[in-house]
Amino acid sequence: MRVYSIFILFFIASFLPSSSSSSSSSSSSSPSSKHHFLGISPQDENYYKSSSDTISCKDGSKKFSKSQFNDDFCDCLDGTDEPGTSACPTAKFYCKNAGHIPQLLFSSRVNDGICDCCDGSDEYDGQVKCPNTCWEAGKVARDRLIKKIATYKEGAALRKLEVEKAKVAIAKEEAELTLLKNEEKVLKVRVGELKEHKELIEKEEEKVRLQKEKEEKGKREAEEDLREKGKADKEGKVEHEKVEEEASTENQPTESTREDIIGNVEDSSSKEHALENTHESASPTTEDVSSVATEIADDAGSKISPDVDKKENEVSSDISEGMSREELGRIVASRWTGESTKNQGGNKDHADDSHEETPKDTHDEQYDHHATDTVVDTGKDDNEKYDYEIDDEQDESYEEESHDDMSSYNYDDEPDLSDTTSSYNSSWLEKIQQKARNILKAFNFFQTPINLTEAATVRKEYVDSSTKLSKIQSRISKLKEKLKHDFGPEKEFYAFYGHCFETNQNKLRTSHCSSFVLLSLSLKYRLPNISICFAFNNLDFWLQVCLQSVSVQTSFSRGGLHINQFGVGVLQLLCSLIDWILVLYFSTRHWDKFEDSYRMMVFSNGENCWNGPDRSMKVKLRCGLKNEITDVDEPSRCEYVAVLSTPAVCLEEKLKELQHKLDLMNKEQPREHDEL
Amino acid sequence: MKMKQVAFLFLIFLASQTVHSWKKDEFRACDQTPFCKRARFRKPGACTLIAHDVSISDGDLTAKLIPKAPHDQDQDQIKPLTLSVSVYQDGIMRLKIDEDPSLDPPKKRFQVADVVISEFETKKLWLQSASTEKINGDDGGLSSVVYLSDGYEAVLRHDPFEVYVREKAGNRRVVSLNSHGLFDFEQLRVKKEDEDWEERFRGHTDTRPYGPQSISFDVSFYGSDFVYGIPEHASSFALKPTRGPGVEESEPFRLFNLDVFEYLPESPFGIYGSIPFMVSHGKSGQSSGFFWLNAAEMQIDVLAKGWDAEGGILMPTEQSRIDTFWMSEAGIVDTFFFVGPGPKDVVKQYVSVTGLPAMPQLFSTGYHQCRWNYRDEEDVENVDSKFDEHDIPYDVLWLDIEHTDGKRYFTWDKMLFPHPDEMQRKLAAKGRHMVTIVDPHIKRDESFHLHKDASQRGYYVKDATGKDYDGWCWPGSSSYPDMLNPEIRSWWAEKFSYDNYVGSTPSLYIWNDMNEPSVFNGPEVTMPRDALHLGGVEHRELHNAYGYYFHMATAEGLLKRGDGKDRPFVLSRAFFAGSQRYGAVWTGDNSADWDHLRVSVPMVLTLGLTGMTFSGADVGGFFGNPEPELLVRWYQLGAYYPFFRGHAHHDTKRREPWLFGERNTALMRDAIRIRYTLLPYFYTLFREANVSGVPVVRPLWMEFPSDEAAFSNDEAFMVGNSLLVQGIYTARAKHASVYLPGKESWYDLRTGTAYKGGKVHKLEVSEESIPAFQRAGTIVPRKDRFRRSSTQMVHDPYTLVIALNSSQAAEGELYVDDGKSYDFKHGAYIHRRFVFSNGHLTSSPVGNSRFSSDCIIERVILLGYNPGAKTAFVEPGNQKAEIELGPLRFGGQHAAVAVTIRKPGVRVAEDWKIKIL
Repeated sequence: MRVYSIFILFFIASFLPSSSSSSSSSSSSSPSSKHHFLGISPQDENYYKSSSDTISCKDGSKKFSKSQFNDDFCDCLDGTDEPGTSACPTAKFYCKNAGHIPQLLFSSRVNDGICDCCDGSDEYDGQVKCPNTCWEAGKVARDRLIKKIATYKEGAALRKLEVEKAKVAIAKEEAELTLLKNEEKVLKVRVGELKEHKELIEKEEEKVRLQKEKEEKGKREAEEDLREKGKADKEGKVEHEKVEEEASTENQPTESTREDIIGNVEDSSSKEHALENTHESASPTTEDVSSVATEIADDAGSKISPDVDKKENEVSSDISEGMSREELGRIVASRWTGESTKNQGGNKDHADDSHEETPKDTHDEQYDHHATDTVVDTGKDDNEKYDYEIDDEQDESYEEESHDDMSSYNYDDEPDLSDTTSSYNSSWLEKIQQKARNILKAFNFFQTPINLTEAATVRKEYVDSSTKLSKIQSRISKLKEKLKHDFGPEKEFYAFYGHCFETNQNKLRTSHCSSFVLLSLSLKYRLPNISICFAFNNLDFWLQVCLQSVSVQTSFSRGGLHINQFGVGVLQLLCSLIDWILVLYFSTRHWDKFEDSYRMMVFSNGENCWNGPDRSMKVKLRCGLKNEITDVDEPSRCEYVAVLSTPAVCLEEKLKELQHKLDLMNKEQPREHDEL
Repeated sequence: MKMKQVAFLFLIFLASQTVHSWKKDEFRACDQTPFCKRARFRKPGACTLIAHDVSISDGDLTAKLIPKAPHDQDQDQIKPLTLSVSVYQDGIMRLKIDEDPSLDPPKKRFQVADVVISEFETKKLWLQSASTEKINGDDGGLSSVVYLSDGYEAVLRHDPFEVYVREKAGNRRVVSLNSHGLFDFEQLRVKKEDEDWEERFRGHTDTRPYGPQSISFDVSFYGSDFVYGIPEHASSFALKPTRGPGVEESEPFRLFNLDVFEYLPESPFGIYGSIPFMVSHGKSGQSSGFFWLNAAEMQIDVLAKGWDAEGGILMPTEQSRIDTFWMSEAGIVDTFFFVGPGPKDVVKQYVSVTGLPAMPQLFSTGYHQCRWNYRDEEDVENVDSKFDEHDIPYDVLWLDIEHTDGKRYFTWDKMLFPHPDEMQRKLAAKGRHMVTIVDPHIKRDESFHLHKDASQRGYYVKDATGKDYDGWCWPGSSSYPDMLNPEIRSWWAEKFSYDNYVGSTPSLYIWNDMNEPSVFNGPEVTMPRDALHLGGVEHRELHNAYGYYFHMATAEGLLKRGDGKDRPFVLSRAFFAGSQRYGAVWTGDNSADWDHLRVSVPMVLTLGLTGMTFSGADVGGFFGNPEPELLVRWYQLGAYYPFFRGHAHHDTKRREPWLFGERNTALMRDAIRIRYTLLPYFYTLFREANVSGVPVVRPLWMEFPSDEAAFSNDEAFMVGNSLLVQGIYTARAKHASVYLPGKESWYDLRTGTAYKGGKVHKLEVSEESIPAFQRAGTIVPRKDRFRRSSTQMVHDPYTLVIALNSSQAAEGELYVDDGKSYDFKHGAYIHRRFVFSNGHLTSSPVGNSRFSSDCIIERVILLGYNPGAKTAFVEPGNQKAEIELGPLRFGGQHAAVAVTIRKPGVRVAEDWKIKIL
């Protein structure tokens, strides 16, 4: 050991003079001997302090003499010989930066007149004097690092919880899926049987009808005969009326039974989802409020994120009081979709009306419909619908709308899918089977004439069952699709599915109005206060930029602006004065994929940008305690970049790394500062 | 919390409409342009004018042009025209033909002011006498002959009138005018009652209050096989015939400054700038030139051989010849004949008339990063730091129109750029510069001081009725300062002072766009021809020079701003003859496709040939999204443009060099770094252009005038006299055929491999670089250290790359000055000449220079040297320097293939000698 260090000393001693007496060098700008060990990283020190006369280039291409080391002439292509000068483009300069983090610089920074290292070691040729700022800078950096570590610690804990919850939720969903698949099997058989029976009944009915017709014909003929004879046959008519009456009374109890059993799908299922998804800390204040919130979310076609959920609750409860701007912005957004729901009302009613005939129109599909329409409608419909005035009146109407929605859900008589996953499940199935058995038992196909009351029950049962079946199938495909999604290596992104994040950023400036083709109207608008409502919808992903200033009543048709329709002046006026909601409609469901080892979510294939690309968005993920968008930007037209802080990426390994870094920084602190 | 009304607007832009490329209908074809149509109908020999009263007066040869046999009915219209021939030093003849002002024409015709530099007049040779002679084959007609320069004479044939220059010996013609009798001069006259002078085009009416006033004539170039020049067109370098046998219906080459949306990569159609200067070149190795100083719309036909077969005029000589036909809507005949005889001589003669190219600042010869738009200060900071992160040098960051407050130039968007001066200082701290855009259209907004000032002073161009002309451009309703007026130009120049341009700092320079001028709702997207300028000059008369005057005023503004000490940098899109004095130009809004990459070379070559040496095309293509391969190839080629800037439309994806994966980043970094290593060479070439007009980027035939194979080669070009570069213009190219001219060898810049000259080489092409070679017999100075920007390279040592010719000799030059001031005009520069012969490399001064530099020469690379010696001795001092094998280039894995003198350590500013023993 001792021998070795003496050796090194000797080496250094022999090294220093050798360079100054170097015969080949007459260069004035080559560093003086004291710079000989400049730019070497600690790991490399031993490499250079070899005992032999020559040192190898790390790439093995060449050897260089000690006098050629850091002599400001590049001998090794890989820069091995010039860590301390700018001579080799590939070389890296190491600055110790005692008190701060060491740094590896491109050789292009050495003696370029700009201080890069906080210890100033990169500038030694006298062009500039660089003060040592490492202590101050280091302190700032350490503090930041400490904070970051704290965030990571807390974030990692949150992440663990999320992961646990996600596992449970996924397991539950997988279980649900398995159950649903079983039920699907059973139901399929039932439906098949019912169908068969229904057809049989129908056949019978047809037979009966034909016979009746025949009879009636016969009767009529007979009547005619009778009339001719001047005599009326009363009995047949009475018989006919009685049948009709019986049928209608039979129908009533069946309907009510069904309601009892099935209940209100929408209500309870949403509640359940809300509860499932709600953050532990954010339990709904009252059931009513929560359901309102749920519905708002549902209106937006979305299962809400915990945070939004919470906020929604607040919004809902505070609705008659004052609102903050961003809340308003969000309400505006949900109203917009709410309005769509209302538009949808017609369709829905229609769907309800036609329920019996079109059992395919299920809950989920209806939602799909809804979301699609939301966007299509915005374009197609007269824009007046979307020109809201946000004031007290508006609030009232908002409540009304919510109420409408609520009531519409309340009497929504879709089957309760949540039941299917619940513990009643078996009894429910049994009930159905029982009922079907009863019905079937009640039939005697060979009995003539057919009991028409029972026929109606079979038909009804068939319709109900097949409706149920399609709902289950739909739910299955929904679940399948969801579970297919990449939720991250530990499913830490599970909670993102269908959740909404938001931010207030007044920096997103868009230039959609300006297009070279639009006579190059590069019109820019002032955006005094933008709130970006940004949601990952469970049907579609949309992003809104809402800004407020002056209201201008205008209508744009889907398909964008047509310069022919609007004079240049009008356009400019619009662009400079108007409030904008910029709706970026993404046609893909949820994120496409992750990139950058789960540090980035990618959304693509959005609505095409006029004269531009399809809209897309990259969401960079940063460790944070809340799911929160911290930055939104549009670096290229219609290509958005957002930064989302989330516990989901607060990784343990990274935490360790940071801690290690901090330890290093503390270790590197110069002695004298410790005493400060 | 009281909320105001909120309105929502949805802009969902649907599937993009098909973007029509070139909107042909928006622009006039020749047959929609009455003067062009009329002129093209003329038949050879139609001109009946004869030269009368030929005499010498005021040192000129003068004459009156009158019809030989005036028709009675035309008598009131055809008044004599005045003709004068002047002769200037270095083989320049000037021919002027105008209406006789003493005969009281309805209006004085416009003569383009401020293009011919004042020094030119001092070079006038005062003619004392003319000899009269009968020339064989001239049907006994007389000609007056005057001295032009040693070996050349100017000749005026009287009947029919014809003007030409010829070589004294052998009576060989060089350039002639009206040899085919196509000359026509529509004289201004009083409108007859039944005449309708108005012209209508796509809903625009040109009142044409002065009626037809066009001029046309034929010009022939003798001993020539090709003609070149007359930018700006996106077309081949050697101009293709536009009329005659074998030519399908074609438009003439149009010179009319237009903002053409998505111009075609192959079209004679006029785009942003106009320089009515044509150069011919032929097998004899000789060149000649012709320049028509006229700023009205011009159309030029290049006539295919045999075009006049029916006309029956037999030309008097057997020389190979190219005939051209020039037409202009207005103005006068003010033409310059350049005798050459070498290609560089023609260029020198031309710049002696229109001025030498400005000496650019060193930083502006580096790489420029532009985009429409870098959005805000954060964006700027981010882009800037990314260059550092990827160790890619760049010198200038550009801000397009969106940085302003509502397209009010000289202002900043307060939200996006709240601290413009701080932003510039941050860049300047890294030695970088910023360029902001200032366009000529001024927003008509009473609250905008510039508009208020201009309208109160009456500084705007007027419409035909005399009101301020109001057109649409970026800001909407806009007006345009009348830049023809020197008073207005100096008013404009004042606006660039640090006080007036709030938020500007000394590291800020200017970009002039849209100065054709572009007017969105004007005829052909420009200003109506009947708009009025100073002194009642119609816009039609000076249209092509509007952008020139604007460029001039802006450059003068920057000059004033720096107390005349700081060289301006102004990039302009529009240009005219003389624009080279004011700064750089670029080839406008090109597209991201291979054809546009390809056509950028002939476009840049043509600009260089016609004086505008500081030019380049937008790297990557302005419109559209380049494939990474195209972008890389464009960087590889663009690194050799004199002006090297990446730019993109705001509808395109971001395309900064680091956005296409590591491999492509490395390739683009390498391309940009090649430019930076060659900056000393480029700067030397800019100086050469600054003293001679010889362009930085040259056609092969300028260096190899007798090499016929090079005449129509516009795939490759020379950078100075030493480097030959050929772009790769197709995707996934595996091979390239490169013609290397001359007898000497060429050395591959990357590998050092030698290739024989005088033949086409089929070379393998990799993605790493485009073919580029150093010519044997030359020495190229480089700086091989990579820095953030050119600013940090100032103290870096030099590398000299010596490519030896067959006699083991080579020479080259290096020019150095402070890179920014005009001190070089007073001798504050270093100009060295390096000569290698007999194993000795010597550095000797060129001219009297007194500028100091601490830079040394760290390395001398010898290509084509037969190795043997191990040491060299450096004088003075007799120091030893080792000789070893080293890499030819740095920054990647390059094999040690080149004989390298290691650390000779000599100072670049001093005399020395390195002897290899």
